Amino acid sequence: MSERVERVEARKAHVKWDNLLHISMREAGVTVALVLIVLFFSATAPYFATTGNFLKIFVQIAINTVLAAGMTFVILTGGIDLSVGSVLALCTVVGATIMTDERLSAGISITLAFVACLGTGAICGAINGWVCEKWKLPSFIVTLGMLNIASGVARVVSNNSTITGLPQSFVEFGNMIFFGVFPSIFVIAVGVVLIGWFILRFTVFGRFIFAIGTNEEAVRLSGHNPSAIKIAAFTISGLTAGIAAMVYLLRLNVGSPIAGIGYELNAIAAVIIGGTSLSGGKGSIIGTLVGACILQVLSTGLQLLGAEDNVKPIVIGTVIVLAVILDTYRNKFLRAMESRRSDG
Amino acid sequence: MANSTRRTSNSGLSRRQIVLAGAAGTITVMAGIRPTFADGKPKVGLVMKSLSNEFFKQMQAGADKFAAENKDKFDFKAVGMKDERDFAAQVDAVENFITQKYDIIVVAPADSKAMATPLAKAVKAGITVVNIDVPLDAGAKKAAGIDLAFFGPDNQAGAKLAGDALAKDLGAGGKVVILEGNPEADNAKQRKQGFMESITEGKLQLLDSKTAHWETEEANTLMTNFLTKYQDIQGVMAANDSMALGVVKALDATGKSGKIKVVGFDNIPPVQPLIKNGKMLATVEQFGAQMAVNGIKYGLRQLAGEKFSGWIKTDVKLVEAKDLS
Repeated sequence: MSERVERVEARKAHVKWDNLLHISMREAGVTVALVLIVLFFSATAPYFATTGNFLKIFVQIAINTVLAAGMTFVILTGGIDLSVGSVLALCTVVGATIMTDERLSAGISITLAFVACLGTGAICGAINGWVCEKWKLPSFIVTLGMLNIASGVARVVSNNSTITGLPQSFVEFGNMIFFGVFPSIFVIAVGVVLIGWFILRFTVFGRFIFAIGTNEEAVRLSGHNPSAIKIAAFTISGLTAGIAAMVYLLRLNVGSPIAGIGYELNAIAAVIIGGTSLSGGKGSIIGTLVGACILQVLSTGLQLLGAEDNVKPIVIGTVIVLAVILDTYRNKFLRAMESRRSDG
Repeated sequence: MANSTRRTSNSGLSRRQIVLAGAAGTITVMAGIRPTFADGKPKVGLVMKSLSNEFFKQMQAGADKFAAENKDKFDFKAVGMKDERDFAAQVDAVENFITQKYDIIVVAPADSKAMATPLAKAVKAGITVVNIDVPLDAGAKKAAGIDLAFFGPDNQAGAKLAGDALAKDLGAGGKVVILEGNPEADNAKQRKQGFMESITEGKLQLLDSKTAHWETEEANTLMTNFLTKYQDIQGVMAANDSMALGVVKALDATGKSGKIKVVGFDNIPPVQPLIKNGKMLATVEQFGAQMAVNGIKYGLRQLAGEKFSGWIKTDVKLVEAKDLS
């Protein structure tokens, strides 16, 4: 009897230790990589380890972080959203058009623009998801279509021109820095990540996102509707594109139909580097934030080091491929751990 | 396949591997590193648009040569964008120069309105900013609270030179098409205006005007479509030479090259043989290599206390077969 209790206790301790290992390791890999990269550049690149530079990096990662946060939801379900860059462009144009309307007071126009930006993004995302699910189409092709549609609509709405002249209070908020080191748009980006983290970690909906990426059929057989959840994931991605558009407006103070070209690929890169599997079901949004940081730190650090422009994409490309290679090692390691565990 | 614990797991292996990844990544770049250290000389940064565009390649080559000859007078670094239209990347480049405490930034704005605010930050940081190639929007400059002189060509006047050459060759009533640059680009708008003036003054007949986004391949497709739609095209006005190259290819394919007259803009090296053998009528030289060099010179003069304002026009010149020997 007591021997059995002992064994159960030992087993419990073992599981506990394993879980602790898992939790502490979940984002540890990428975070350690980020810290090492930061240390490397701090030691080698002039001006890298300055407050000004870190402030600048915080500002520069904001847009991609917000986009990548939404992208994480879609990729976790096993989908992809290629439309976020041009949806962002469309939202900046819509937002800027409203904000520059002289009939509205600053406060009202900013509020309306905020609602319209997020609404436009969410609608584009919902359409993506609905079309994918209604006709069972691959999201790659549907969102590629949306990429072009949103870009065209943005050009029509803006009449091919850059929109300037946003309200002064809006511009000032964009330049605001909290506690000397946290730019307002960085705070927004981190806020979006935290909300996303909460949803994925603590809500039933969040668990379903993972479940669909792992085994959609099982979700269906358990009596739930995967379509609704996938549509919701695309809507979230569109919504974050809308939020990213607000961040874009705060940062650059212009709405433009050509904003966001190629942003979808940066967002996907951040998600993948952050450890989320492209086949879905596995990953974390905190990892995505770290992934976005790694991309920007590499980019800024290399530039400060004086590296050739053409070296930058080579390094960043290498890091992306390495991140995916590491994912396969991680899977192997986990399988080994699982079998060890089931052996007792 | 995977169970629920697998998802929330991560491994020690991956940590070590990722560390290696970081190290490998940084080693990869060692070859391309050129440290920039301050030693009293002014530091000059050049921010250009897409380096896949021949015009900016020439601009960089000219600036690099000038910098190499004046190593004792200033330190120099040039950056370009991957994509001409990604002005957020250009904003990053300007911010990086501010961080590195550059003294002079010479910039060819990717967007005349969007670049005003970040450049104002540079001005407020005490940096001498020189605006070349495309002028910043007057309203945007005012809103950002800066007053910068513009050192660059008159795109409209340049395009009119090419357009007039075509009008002269075809005579009144000549039927032409226009290939425009990126619809949102300021120089594309100005060049189209120049072409339109030539058409009005030369009493040409405009059949169609569409964008091919500065691109050779797209211009080739567009021109092929024009040739199908309009059987009687006599002249083509392309807003840059990259597009003119695509047009000439399309004409070659239908045996019409030399019969349909083509004018372009920029005088990039690949069009020169075409002008010599009559496949193109003319192009416009705007001295890209010299533009950045002049920008640097103006910047150094401003740093020394000189003041400039308004539009300091740089040369544009028509290039025809007789100019190339």
